Amino acid sequence: MLSVIVLYSFAYLACLSATLFLFIFARRLIVEARERRDRRTYEEMEGELLEVLTSPSPSRAALDFAQRFRDRPRVLKSLLVAYREALAGKALEPLKVIFERTIRQRCLRELRSRWLATRLQNVRLFVDFSRTEEAVHLVKLLHDKPVVRLAALNALTGIASRDTLSVIFDLFERDPEPNYYAYSNVLNSLGQRIEPFVRASLRKPLPVDKHALLIEMAGRLLLRGLYPDVVRFAASEDRELRIRTARTLGRLLVPASAKALSGLAGDPRWEVQAQALRSLGLLQDWRTIPLLVKGLFSPNWHVRYNAGYGLAAFGLVGVLQLQEISRQKEDRFAADMAAMVLDTVILTGGAA
Amino acid sequence: MSGVLAFVSDGLELVILVYFLLINSFYFLFNLLSLSGILRYRRMVTFVRFGEIFRMPIVRPVSVIVPAFNEEAGIVESVRSLLSLRYPVFEVVVVNDGSTDATLARLAAAFALRPSRSVFRRSIPTQPIRAIYRSAVHPRLTVVDKSNGKKADALNAGLNVSRYPLFCAVDSDSVLESDALLKVVRPFLEDPARTVGAGGVIRLSNGCVVREGQVVAVGIPRNWIARFQVLEYLRAFLGGRLGMSMLRSTLIVSGAFGIFRKDIAMACGGYRTDSLTEDMDLVVRMQKHLHERKLAYRFCFIPDPICWTEAPEDLRVLARQRSRWHRGLIETLFRSRRMFFRPRYGVAGMFALPFYAVFEMAGPFIEVLGYVLFAGHLVFGRIDVPFAATFFFVAVFYGTFVSLLAILLEELSSHRYPRPRDIVILTATGVAENLFYRQYLSLVRAWAFLDYLRGKREWGLMERRGFAKAGQTP
Repeated sequence: MLSVIVLYSFAYLACLSATLFLFIFARRLIVEARERRDRRTYEEMEGELLEVLTSPSPSRAALDFAQRFRDRPRVLKSLLVAYREALAGKALEPLKVIFERTIRQRCLRELRSRWLATRLQNVRLFVDFSRTEEAVHLVKLLHDKPVVRLAALNALTGIASRDTLSVIFDLFERDPEPNYYAYSNVLNSLGQRIEPFVRASLRKPLPVDKHALLIEMAGRLLLRGLYPDVVRFAASEDRELRIRTARTLGRLLVPASAKALSGLAGDPRWEVQAQALRSLGLLQDWRTIPLLVKGLFSPNWHVRYNAGYGLAAFGLVGVLQLQEISRQKEDRFAADMAAMVLDTVILTGGAA
Repeated sequence: MSGVLAFVSDGLELVILVYFLLINSFYFLFNLLSLSGILRYRRMVTFVRFGEIFRMPIVRPVSVIVPAFNEEAGIVESVRSLLSLRYPVFEVVVVNDGSTDATLARLAAAFALRPSRSVFRRSIPTQPIRAIYRSAVHPRLTVVDKSNGKKADALNAGLNVSRYPLFCAVDSDSVLESDALLKVVRPFLEDPARTVGAGGVIRLSNGCVVREGQVVAVGIPRNWIARFQVLEYLRAFLGGRLGMSMLRSTLIVSGAFGIFRKDIAMACGGYRTDSLTEDMDLVVRMQKHLHERKLAYRFCFIPDPICWTEAPEDLRVLARQRSRWHRGLIETLFRSRRMFFRPRYGVAGMFALPFYAVFEMAGPFIEVLGYVLFAGHLVFGRIDVPFAATFFFVAVFYGTFVSLLAILLEELSSHRYPRPRDIVILTATGVAENLFYRQYLSLVRAWAFLDYLRGKREWGLMERRGFAKAGQTP
């Protein structure tokens, strides 16, 4: 009995292996042939597209181009995506025209596909070629799986109107599992026009992580009008919020923030102290130099490190202080840190 | 007496047969999972522009840590390759682990190193650091010179000195493809809260042409030992690790190319210096740490970022390497024995660790036992020759079939071997390796088990030839 099973297994595996080998080999030959054909088509299309882009009337030429190549969507998609990389601003218009006339309808249809990967691929095309009126299709995808949701958000940032901004912030506030990294990139690319929305969100009772991201955004986008809304978080009970506030105040460079930052420099948590000292350096209020010098003698490495670079940010005055500290013998750790900061500043020319 | 012997022998045969069926079923399952994983990955990354990360205002910076011990042959080439990686914000920290050759001198000459007075936190204890150098021509390069303490100690020193929240451990004899970092970091951007580690594919540079730190032509090596390993790596990475990762059972992110969250690695105390396979040990400890704190996490395996590394081309060096790997595996499994079959440790405790223990650790023993039984039966004339021959061919064809699946996975994922002839050579290699190579490695690994029991803990010497010599024109 066993012999028969083994014999059949042998025959079965031998056939299976031979078939698999033939499949791999044949597939390779077919794929190579298709790639060659696609490459030829691509080159032909590319030549025509370059003529479209340099013609006196690109939009009209784009229409002719779209008419001619509408039956080759696969190569056309890769050509459009490749040229999207290289072009920006008005030069993108002919590509948008070609997209609309050739594959837009198909993409819209595929946005409703039951396959996640298909939806994702098509949203990505919209990231590049979407127009304001497309927002309605993209907003529907904001309730999809996280990866599609983020791609849809990205596409929406490209056509951000007041309505779409409101949709984005609404989604951010309600998102139960936000990808903060992706949101920070999305909000960052929207620029300073998000200020009223950030203000409104900062005033709402949101989870700590969401407030933290909004505070961070205020600093990154230099939304100085949000200073009063941000500075009140300096008294927050949450450590992360105090850290973010300290960092943002250092970016906003509002002179009045020296008081709040000095308070944060005496925070019981070293993480907050370290960030506040770095920000004080950026603020360059000479009255805070003693705080930074004190920070260099802290028992905590991070506090010393940030105090050192904070002092360096003062320029010559800070460098002189650092030199003095590097020469003293009482605290070797402070001296080493000061020496390292000086070394870096001299090597990279990084002093303010 | 002979009746008892026959009974024992029949029992062992049954054990071996069941084992053979089980292990092959598992590997077949992993291959199927990998196949679906690769197809899905291909579709998911369509129209993804990996370069778009350069336009992102906020990126997650990466420290690339390269431990180097007596690597004068290829260190400059390796570091050049790392410095030319496409990634917006990264640093390369080379740790010269007390080399006795000209590793440091070559680095100093090639990259204009000058001493730096860097102050860093010694968060993980390491052997003393003699000096830290920065390059005057490549601001991203830092070189740490320290007393010898082996690879894990060098990696820990690199962790202490590195500045960024993600770190990528890379072997100094490896070459990363220029977009490897962009690709491998993607899970950290898509799911930053849960992703704690990711690994890419390791391929062999033997038979490839390496110029200026990049693989410029891919080919199959002429040396048969290296050829067998090419196929073995394809099976291990594309078939095994991807499949295991889809079952959330990743226990190994290769030390030659893996990226991790630094805070979690530091919280686990960094790499264990007395471990033979510090990469696996770290991943297992990270999983233990995360499970004990009830934190959601994932380790990802990405099938297309590629790291090229040099494989041994003679049996002696290969045996040393495999012996170390196997002893390391046993050591890590033994150290994490408390995690076995405990639901608290999730899939790692309930499936991955027992799987490695039964099929990877004990596997060679059972295989060798099979050979011994076969030889015994042959001597005592108890063998049914046609049955044995057919069974042998079943094993050969099964091995070939799994190798063909790995070749298919390669075709579907990165498709690096350019000529149709390469498929034929790889298939022939898949048949040939069943005739000697597999048996040899089983013996080496079974012997490694005995070495472990005897307390052997040394690494064994590896010979580095450098890419210029290893690379042959295909």
